[in-house]
Amino acid sequence: MAPHCFVDVHVVQTVPPANLNRDDQGNPKEAVYGGVRRSRVSSQAWKRATRLHFDAQAPEIERATRTKRILGQLTERIARNNGLETEPAARIATAVLGQLGLSQGKKAGDTAYLLFYGQAQLDAIAALVTGRAAELAALDDKGLAEAATELPVTAALQAGHPMGVALFGRMVADIPALNVDASVQVAHALSTHETQLEFDYFTAVDDENEKEETGAGHIDSIGFNSATLYRYATVGLDQLTANLGGDNDAAFDALDRFVDSFARSAPTGYQNAFAHRTRPSLVAVVVRTDQPVNLVSAFEEPVPAESGIQAASARRLAEEHTTAVRMWGDEPLHTAITHTFTTGDPRTKDTAEALTQAFGTPVAFPELLSGLRARLTQARETA
Amino acid sequence: MTSREPGPVLLLRLAGPLQSWGDRSAYNRRETRPEPTKSGIIGLLAAAAGRPRQANLDDLAGLDLGIRIDRPGSLLRDYHTVSDYRGRPLPSAAVTAKGRQKPTSPAKHTHITQRYYLQDAVFLAAVTGPEPLVTALDHALRHPAFPLALGRRSCTPAQPMNLGLRTGTLEEALREAPWQAPRRIIKRWGREHGNADRIDLPATLDDPTGEDVRDDVPVSFAPKNRAYTTRHVRHAYLSAPTGLIPDPTAPPTANGGHDPFALLGW
Repeated sequence: MAPHCFVDVHVVQTVPPANLNRDDQGNPKEAVYGGVRRSRVSSQAWKRATRLHFDAQAPEIERATRTKRILGQLTERIARNNGLETEPAARIATAVLGQLGLSQGKKAGDTAYLLFYGQAQLDAIAALVTGRAAELAALDDKGLAEAATELPVTAALQAGHPMGVALFGRMVADIPALNVDASVQVAHALSTHETQLEFDYFTAVDDENEKEETGAGHIDSIGFNSATLYRYATVGLDQLTANLGGDNDAAFDALDRFVDSFARSAPTGYQNAFAHRTRPSLVAVVVRTDQPVNLVSAFEEPVPAESGIQAASARRLAEEHTTAVRMWGDEPLHTAITHTFTTGDPRTKDTAEALTQAFGTPVAFPELLSGLRARLTQARETA
Repeated sequence: MTSREPGPVLLLRLAGPLQSWGDRSAYNRRETRPEPTKSGIIGLLAAAAGRPRQANLDDLAGLDLGIRIDRPGSLLRDYHTVSDYRGRPLPSAAVTAKGRQKPTSPAKHTHITQRYYLQDAVFLAAVTGPEPLVTALDHALRHPAFPLALGRRSCTPAQPMNLGLRTGTLEEALREAPWQAPRRIIKRWGREHGNADRIDLPATLDDPTGEDVRDDVPVSFAPKNRAYTTRHVRHAYLSAPTGLIPDPTAPPTANGGHDPFALLGW
């Protein structure tokens, strides 16, 4: 059995008083874990922030396109791959696309609607006729159409999706054939320690108040808490590669950008009131060939406030990882870490050492990404 | 094979901050049962084994399941809104002549749903059936094809999940597995119960002669024809080891060992 490959991403991130993700009472979401209340940010909320960041970084256009001119695009590829003239290539392309039953647009050769597909998907369709093009071109119209119906064109369009879809999945209730299973799994972010819900009671004063008029123009309260969150996501690399039509490079690109976006993004709820935008104090990636491992159990026993929550949380994470690896005897394929704890500071020396022992020498975030890619590329080549 | 016959038993520890085991809810209100469903467990096993949604489930549905409630947890209601991340109006149920979904009109941008979770719960699931299948599932759970989840994708399991294979009946395996609660909870319980070495934990076991019926056996997970059938179950209290050493000097507990609130996890 070929080993599966999962990329676990562990993040420890402290947010100041904030209300990132609220319930229908307007208060920050919570959950009980290990018998105590915790601050929670739902997986959906953080995934949305990740997607927005992901899309803002590089548009889908790179590897996907939305066009009416699929016929022209396919003709070009078939002509190029087989050294054919445009006219016979167009005949083959028309026959190949015929089985999809796409409605014709006003202009000859256009589809009636914009089709959204990945460049890799079209390459896969073009590849279906590579080597047979001359033979197909020699057939008459009827023979060509018959030969084309046997090609798995629909299957090619059902695999090899654009990156966003390949990572986060797609669900089309009416047409299950177009559904794509996500390759990313994101856990609800949970505070590593006990939190209490607090209320900020506030009044707003009318600046144009007459002197005699006292009192507020508006009274309200906002629920908030502050937390050191443990965030976890895992990417099934095999599913991601399959969703991208077996294109390893595209899968590594997508992974790279996902880890980047997951680490850098944050939900924007009450952003202007709290300016909560922080960066993670720790990002660790662990590549495993057996199964994804969520280290949330490190925090089942809540981190006590006295010990300095952020450093203690990082230490707990390192210990949990080390213990789990020792207990199960399964060395991950690759680990790398970026964090802000230094050995120079006596307060964080222990933490930094524990992290180095568990995840290796810390590197800058861009190096973490490039190292991850290099290791995965190497693993694919030796496999 | 029934749950009363000995065989290979695979033990799973289902723990994590959140779990959700729906059995009938759809659309806007996604509820959870107070304990894992058979469809949830079979879905988990099928995901581990890398079976696509259309795959045949007959062998998995034929497995016998037992669930022990080690920590019942509590119910969490999650207020959840849905919107298109590109800021577009949500699609409506109506479709165009070409079968494409129309946008809602007037434009609706936010849709509200309620999702229920069990928080802070721990269950022990035992699965038994033909030896080759159970052994294959044991391996698959250690090398899953897809990321595993406790009923819903965002509910990632805490490790360890697979406690490995035992031999015996479902009931024996569930009775002899140590109580799966956090150390702190076990210690606190021990202080209140004279460090008793056994605790009665509620369990639900597949049993054709059982008095209760559950409608949660999957026939197919294929999106177009999801279907479920029923199973008979019986309920029991199983006396499981706590790992504590009893204190001979401690007076016997006042309630004579009967604790009506045990089910609530108090």
